Amino acid sequence: MNLPWQRFLLLPLVLSLALLIASQYVFLRGSLHADLGVGRLGDALTLANYRKLFTDSFYFDSLWLTIKLSAITTVATLVIGLPVAYVLARMRSRWGPVLLAVIVAASFVTIVIKVLGLNIIFATNGGLNRFLVGSGLLSAPITLIGKVEGVAVGLMYFTLAFLVILLYSVVLTIPRSLEDAAQSLGASRWRMHWRVILPLSLPGIVASGLIAFNLCMGAFTSAALIGAGKILTLPVLIQRTVIFDTKYGMGATLAVVLLLAGLAVNLISILVVGRLKVARGMTA
Amino acid sequence: MSLFSERRVNRVLARLWVAAFFTFLLAPLVVVVVVSFGETARGGLAFPPKSFTLHWYTTIGREYLTALFASIAVAAGSVVVCVVLGVPAGLGLVRTRWRGKAALAAAFRAPVQIPAVVTGVAFLQFYYLLGDAVGWYGAGTWTGLLVAHVFIGLPYVIGSVVAVVQRFNARFEEAALILGASPWSVLRRVTLPVIAPGVYSGATYAFLVSFSDLPVALFLSSADVRTFPVLLFQAMDYDFDPTLLAVATIIIAASFVAMLLFQKWVGINALLRSGQ
Repeated sequence: MNLPWQRFLLLPLVLSLALLIASQYVFLRGSLHADLGVGRLGDALTLANYRKLFTDSFYFDSLWLTIKLSAITTVATLVIGLPVAYVLARMRSRWGPVLLAVIVAASFVTIVIKVLGLNIIFATNGGLNRFLVGSGLLSAPITLIGKVEGVAVGLMYFTLAFLVILLYSVVLTIPRSLEDAAQSLGASRWRMHWRVILPLSLPGIVASGLIAFNLCMGAFTSAALIGAGKILTLPVLIQRTVIFDTKYGMGATLAVVLLLAGLAVNLISILVVGRLKVARGMTA
Repeated sequence: MSLFSERRVNRVLARLWVAAFFTFLLAPLVVVVVVSFGETARGGLAFPPKSFTLHWYTTIGREYLTALFASIAVAAGSVVVCVVLGVPAGLGLVRTRWRGKAALAAAFRAPVQIPAVVTGVAFLQFYYLLGDAVGWYGAGTWTGLLVAHVFIGLPYVIGSVVAVVQRFNARFEEAALILGASPWSVLRRVTLPVIAPGVYSGATYAFLVSFSDLPVALFLSSADVRTFPVLLFQAMDYDFDPTLLAVATIIIAASFVAMLLFQKWVGINALLRSGQ
């Protein structure tokens, strides 16, 4: 059908590019200027902010913590979510769509409310901790606030439901007939999963995992609320640097590094997976 | 079949795993809902509550309701703008014959790749600069927040429209053209109705992105301009009012009802396909 399709693109493209360039340029440019205090930036171009970030262990630790936390929680959510996605995708009963709808609805609820619920569950005087301490299973109550483990749990709640939805569509792309073939040729269920399902879904698993990883790298809410000023991941540090210290230059530098670090991890994983596939292809 | 056949053991393990997953996933939500109906001791919020009451629902403060309605209004407003911009953009992106299409698609997707905190600070500074230049200060205004939410929501609408247009069978359009319809009326009466599920799911995502956003709104909010997540965030940091649990419960209930309605009217598969 011939319609002036290019013209359809014009207005949205101009508007979104304008917003993208205007906002990002104004902010990220600040990373090349020194902070003079109270939100003012120096005129001269300098790399001092970047030098400080990589020499001051405070900033570097935050970068490393963010990458480590995001990687660990992504792997943990994948391990938890993958079997669930598989079972739901292969479920024949009419409960399948209901369970799926529950997961989608849970992903609709803002993370602030989920963190609020977590705080109530792990309250020191709450039922869970009274039970654990009272029954002698633990000597002191578990808390999440201000703990790395707590932030990790918060990050898992941020991505888990969404990740299962992504993995569910990945499993759906693998025809069930392949499983029947593997089993009729004598493969056990475990072997069938290990040698058929996993290799076939690997690209989808990696792609979904990277989406979850990127979400974790940029996650602010759970890290800020559960970290309580003690666990400083990069997004939290950016907010504090800008709002409390009004150091826009340093905040922008941290933002640039956050963007680049996320990009680097994505590229490396894609390369590694590409290699794995090539190696597999050669042995098969 | 023996009691411990491999098949039966696997099935039990799978069920246990799925049950554990749902317990983990839903526990915080269930706790919020239950405690919102609970009598609260002076010591703070505790689960399980000692007795039940509707007290927190009858005393929801005016500012919380205002914030809730503001959140809904901003989300609805940004969805309208996202759809008006995103549907032509998605159609154009698939149908145009430009060589640089891939680059355009990447540019449209860019806001998703930027962490929300960065978007928040960037818009804050952009609005300061714009204010100095033209005299309109966007930070701390509803318009400013709406524009930022359009920015983060638009990629979702474009993405779902692109996904549905790509799968769309052009023969329907050709048939209508052969039967004498003009291209514009084919667009209006054939193309748009067929891609509607993609538009609905994109709009749903854009609504949720706006409605549940904290980081961007946190930077662009002021004493008068506060969405519900911002209010909840500030309340959790300072002093906590249990009526917020009642509002949170309303949001949880609304999310589940919205999901059911979506499944009934559009079908959940439209939502899953465009989630990629």
